[in-house]
Amino acid sequence: MAGYQELIKNFERVRAYMREFYVYGFRRREEFAGLSARSYDDERRRIESYLGDLMRFSRSSDGKRVFISVDSRRMRHNPFYKAWKAKSFTDKDITLHFILFDILFRCEEAFTLNTLLDRIETDYLSQFDEPMLFDESTLRKKLKEYVKEGLLFSEKRGKQVYYSRRKGELPEGIEPLLDFYSEIAPCGVIGSFLLDKAPLHESMFDFKHHYITSSLDSGILAALFDAMSKKSVVTVANLNRSADEPRLLRLIPLRIFISVQTGRQHLLAYAPDVACIRSYRVDYLKSVKLEEVTPRFDELRRELDSMMPKIWGVNTKRNRYGKEHMEHAEFTIRINEGEEHILRRLEREKRVGRVEKVDDSTYRFVADVYDSGEMTPFVRSFVCRIVSMRFSNRTVENRFKDDLEAMYRMYGIGEGKT
Amino acid sequence: MIFSELYSVYYNTVAAILTRLQEGDADRASLERIVREKAFAESGMSLVPALLDGSWQLMTPDLKTPIRHRPTMPLTELERRFLKSVSLDRRVRLFGFDFSFLDDVTPLFTEADYTVYDRYHDGDPFEDEGYIRRFRLILGAIRDKKQIKFDMISSKGRQVFVRCYPVRLEYSEKDDKFRLLTGSGSFMSTVNLSRILSCSLYQGDKVLPRREPPARYRTLTLKVTNERNALERVMLHFAHFEKEVEKLSRKEYRVILRYDYGDESEMVIRVLSFGPLVEVTAPDEFRELIIDKLKKQYKLGLR
Repeated sequence: MAGYQELIKNFERVRAYMREFYVYGFRRREEFAGLSARSYDDERRRIESYLGDLMRFSRSSDGKRVFISVDSRRMRHNPFYKAWKAKSFTDKDITLHFILFDILFRCEEAFTLNTLLDRIETDYLSQFDEPMLFDESTLRKKLKEYVKEGLLFSEKRGKQVYYSRRKGELPEGIEPLLDFYSEIAPCGVIGSFLLDKAPLHESMFDFKHHYITSSLDSGILAALFDAMSKKSVVTVANLNRSADEPRLLRLIPLRIFISVQTGRQHLLAYAPDVACIRSYRVDYLKSVKLEEVTPRFDELRRELDSMMPKIWGVNTKRNRYGKEHMEHAEFTIRINEGEEHILRRLEREKRVGRVEKVDDSTYRFVADVYDSGEMTPFVRSFVCRIVSMRFSNRTVENRFKDDLEAMYRMYGIGEGKT
Repeated sequence: MIFSELYSVYYNTVAAILTRLQEGDADRASLERIVREKAFAESGMSLVPALLDGSWQLMTPDLKTPIRHRPTMPLTELERRFLKSVSLDRRVRLFGFDFSFLDDVTPLFTEADYTVYDRYHDGDPFEDEGYIRRFRLILGAIRDKKQIKFDMISSKGRQVFVRCYPVRLEYSEKDDKFRLLTGSGSFMSTVNLSRILSCSLYQGDKVLPRREPPARYRTLTLKVTNERNALERVMLHFAHFEKEVEKLSRKEYRVILRYDYGDESEMVIRVLSFGPLVEVTAPDEFRELIIDKLKKQYKLGLR
């Protein structure tokens, strides 16, 4: 397969494929719309090289399927992080990298660009029959990049700029902390980069209910955090489920909403075009470009803070006059003797709702939220003890009841028997 | 920002190769072994050849290197910013780590920049001094492979004494709790850390097996009707299990997943939360658990 490279320049395509193989994994090669067979083969081969045995194949009468199957509870480290470590580079990049840090080994020694160039040629490249050529401009660009990455210091002395190594390597004894936070912190892949510099060791942690897919969105997430830290406007390319092409949106990012029950991440951002705060799926964002700093950031974040007690999941609602649209939701459940754990469940899972005691065996759950439809999965988890329900959004309540009837029919219960 | 060659497997592998060359007596096989251990499955085809043919001028054909020092790199600004964010986390005191070297660093994110909106409210007391002390003692015992003994409150409210080999700590982001997994042969295989009252190293002579008890897996087969984006929701929701999905018709899919038998009650609730868009087709025992709940609900007469 001529032209195939294990390393990649752009993460976006591998991000899409890994997600496809992991989350879905039922599509055959022919079903990857808009992509050539060659492109599919290359991506599949790359991901197989990164993930090894986690790639599975199955063959049926209609063709071969590729999927990724992982029990994340048995994984000490997120396997998807490997893809973040597959960035391509040039021969000169890697050669210069190791030579530069060898010359700049001691933090207290600083060198000018010309001295560095001389030493690169005489002390290193002269040992090769056909030495690489580095010009001033290439070296200056690399030094500037490393100063920006925080690896080097640059200091002007008179007319000369001197470069030296920054202090600070990985502190000793940090491994258990990194084993933990690389898996549970947002942008945990950075913790994995740090672990690569640590001595070999065995992690002492397992993770239950561990969603590893969102790690594929770490680049987007880091850019959004950076924008929030700088209080910047961003332009994002948003791929809506109903559209084939991403749409460019100007937003003021305010907060990331993370679900540990679904593995989904949303950006809550102010959209100037519609003058309201809305949610956007982070995994649907293809790119984030930082724009100008906005003076409105603090005011808008305070507004989001005031909205938090009314958001069940991620949805916000306002009518066309900017007035908040609120929905009342309540349901009552029966708790028999010896079932006190159900009451504890209500309390620990209540989010922005509240629990009221009706009598010794009946409790009411009440919430006033923007979108009561988001509560439906939670309410369903109490099926077998729901006595009554009252939702101001009648569509949500009626659909809940219709769904219940459909489940009776599906499992052959009562009059709903089929 | 994150996707950079500075963090690449290739750079890390080359650093390990150069270190090996500096130690002397390296041969091609030893370099290829490093590639197999540290890089990707197919890296061997390009990595060592690029060093050997002089594409990367870091190694001469006689397996010597002009690099004089062990290759190291300072932390990048991104790594420092990430660590600074970690230092602000509510659970960080468990690790007793000194972050003063990051005093002048701007965090990548703070707790104001994100929220976990569906985490349970009754998580562990991560800032309680006694909890922190017990956590550190247990972590040290796991690292040093030592036995511990502790008193705890059981789920039935009784105080019990346990002696065990601690094997690992399991953290659930949803429950916001640590559980201690113990070696086989102990009285309990999983213990909620917050239930432990007092804990110390066991200095006695009795030796328990340290082997991890095997997981008890069961298989669940679901039929998903892809309406209201159900397929994507189901696949994301159950993404952390080993699973396989197959398309049955235009709108129907079969999902087979493996779950730990100990979590069966939780699985029933999770399946129920998808309503009629997910039907349990096997095994019959699991299907009966769903039917039992629906029958009880039917009798309550919610219409």
